[in-house]
Amino acid sequence: MTALKERPPEIPSDITTWEVELQKVGLLRRILNARRWYGADWWFVTVSAVLVLVFIMIALFPSWFAPFQPATLVGPSFLAPGAYPPVPVLVVPNTSLVNSLKDLASPEGQPRPSISVVQGGNTAGALNDAAQQIDNQIKNEPGGLRLRPIIDRYPTVEEALQAVVDGRNNAAVIESTEYTSITAQYPTLREGQSISGGANTAGGFLLGTNDIGQDVLSRLLWGTRVALLIGFSSSVVALVLGVPLGLLAGFIGGTPDRLMSLLMDSMYAFPGLILAIAITAVLGPSVFNVIVAIAVLYIPTYYRIVRGQTLSVKEEVYVEAARSIGARSREILQRYIFPNVIPSVAIIFSVNVADAILTGAGLSFLGLGLPPTIADWGIDLARGQRFIQNAWWLITFPGLTIMLVVLAFTLMGEGLMEIFNPKLRER
Amino acid sequence: MSPIAFIAIIIGVPSLSLLAYVFIRGSVGLRRYILTRIVLTLPMVFILGSLVFLVMRVVPGDPVRSALGPKGTPEMIQHIRQELGLNDPMIVQYGRFLVQMFTLRFGNSLIGGHRPIIDEMSERFPATLELVTPASALALAIGVFGGALAASRRKNVTDYGFRIYSVIIYSLPIFWLGLMLQLLFGVRLKLLPISGRIDAVISTTLVHRTNIYTIDALISGNWPAFFSVLQHLVLPTITLGLILSGIFVRLTRINVIETLQADYIAAARARGIRERVLVYGHALKNAMIPVITLIGLQVAILLAGAVLTETVFSWPGMGSYLVERISGRDYTAVQSVITVFALLVALISLAVDVIYSLVDPRVRY
Repeated sequence: MTALKERPPEIPSDITTWEVELQKVGLLRRILNARRWYGADWWFVTVSAVLVLVFIMIALFPSWFAPFQPATLVGPSFLAPGAYPPVPVLVVPNTSLVNSLKDLASPEGQPRPSISVVQGGNTAGALNDAAQQIDNQIKNEPGGLRLRPIIDRYPTVEEALQAVVDGRNNAAVIESTEYTSITAQYPTLREGQSISGGANTAGGFLLGTNDIGQDVLSRLLWGTRVALLIGFSSSVVALVLGVPLGLLAGFIGGTPDRLMSLLMDSMYAFPGLILAIAITAVLGPSVFNVIVAIAVLYIPTYYRIVRGQTLSVKEEVYVEAARSIGARSREILQRYIFPNVIPSVAIIFSVNVADAILTGAGLSFLGLGLPPTIADWGIDLARGQRFIQNAWWLITFPGLTIMLVVLAFTLMGEGLMEIFNPKLRER
Repeated sequence: MSPIAFIAIIIGVPSLSLLAYVFIRGSVGLRRYILTRIVLTLPMVFILGSLVFLVMRVVPGDPVRSALGPKGTPEMIQHIRQELGLNDPMIVQYGRFLVQMFTLRFGNSLIGGHRPIIDEMSERFPATLELVTPASALALAIGVFGGALAASRRKNVTDYGFRIYSVIIYSLPIFWLGLMLQLLFGVRLKLLPISGRIDAVISTTLVHRTNIYTIDALISGNWPAFFSVLQHLVLPTITLGLILSGIFVRLTRINVIETLQADYIAAARARGIRERVLVYGHALKNAMIPVITLIGLQVAILLAGAVLTETVFSWPGMGSYLVERISGRDYTAVQSVITVFALLVALISLAVDVIYSLVDPRVRY
């Protein structure tokens, strides 16, 4: 015990004050003071944390953000992003004062308006319903107006429009998309409102619809839920198993440590996705099984880092001091070693969630792991690949979303790393 | 000669002769290191194999029941279990598994023509090899030069550009990158084919020797086939190569920066050696030493990436074989493929360590 006689060790002059302070404060104060002390960019963490929070909100309450349920068929199939489903619109002569279906109403006893439509399709049915509704509405109003149009059916769009040009019909009701394609041929006609009275462009789909008419945006937003569920739960499970194992192995040392490390190292060397494929192949598809499979992959990541840190912290003077005043092993682990491990575990956790989301998406892209009824990005991508020739939006947006989520978690991990290990900054 | 023998010759002979040369010419320490490392590979293979066995057998869940699905009657399940030897005691199964792994005799596949699995693999493995080799080369080229460039232009636009590049590449799902390349070059620009290894019409003219199509085409001088294979290779190679390059850029950059701060670089700079020679000649060479080991660790990413890339591009390699057999519920084939992947991991890590010991004289026993 010669050390006792020596002077207390002085802080070498080349260690800056923040390095000393860093050892004394907790997690939160480090983040808050990082910029003041050594210029670490806390805004980096903030921006990615906000992004992460947004995604967590979406995952928790997808129905607040998504316009539709993920599985309901809400529109025509293969509608491009921003495109609108065809709406039956009123087409009238330029000279006509009529703008909406309601304007065609006439007093009782006067000749009923005649409207031309194209045979087949559901235009005539929609027109009938709309007219009925308006009629019910106006027949009780003063003025005695009624709307009971005569509907003339023509085999083609051209003939239906020609009938209006010739004056045989007062107006035509045509699907908006069909009318826009030939509008140039009929300079004497103009487009009125849709027969439901609203704008012609009601109910568009921001990111388009898929092969069976589901809204891509809604599926994306709902997909956040399963992606984050897999990402978070598998990382938490891996953390809960990996950290104690690493602590114990590093602390106890000897044969148990060597055996454990052998197993963990070989798991770490094995391609993670392939191990996950094997596990899900044996377990069968379900969200729970995917979580289990991915959790198993990441146990070694926590184990290795925590064990390494435990090994180095174990040799520190203060641990030795604690031991010499008779602290029990459990206490040393809890109060002296564990707190030192927290920062790196936080970094790994963030990066791990990102990785787990990627792996989960990869698994479901391969058609493994998740039951196909779930709204999931990987499943949507695999489904979209079949229509790559004509529907680019089906494969573009789910992938972009995966990238954004993974980027948010990765950047948060990077930012945290910069704050916790300021020396890495110089690299 | 079977394709598997051909591949064994193509890969095995050069690497074995290199090993023999190094062994004969090398120092005593190097010899001892290589020997020890080879001996140490055996337990690694053993452990990785046991891991596969553990996952496939001990994990709760009955492979046969999941293979047969809801239509399996108890008698059928019992019959197949008997046939696969799943009713034997666990220790017997484990022994049989280890023997299979070391002799590469995996038995016959459960579906299709019930062919020996090793035959099926000898058709699939060359495809994976043909994809993985140029992809790693591409990744290494981008990684080494990008990393060195970024390090030499520290805190410059170039540096930040490469840093952002590696972060974004890390976050990209590899299968999505593949899909986007297909969309751009295959569907929009109609420049390149988006699936398969070779044009179906041309493939009838190709004589299959090694099943590595580029080599087959070159051997027989079949130029149309050669160009068709190259065309089909472009997109999958870029996909896999780009994903791998992100991590290489990052590693090389860090190591070159660290090396550039070394004293001998300062000394060389003081002697007036040009900055370019300094970075690419002096620093990069030394920075590459740790990068080599890290490359060995990326084998996992490479193999996992290959599985996804092959699926996206319908590339008939080991990865798509694995996925096919899982959906075909061919339990024996699945286990065999995963075992082969485990063997590959062990062998590549051996190769990397041997190369490392050649480059860095400090690593000796």
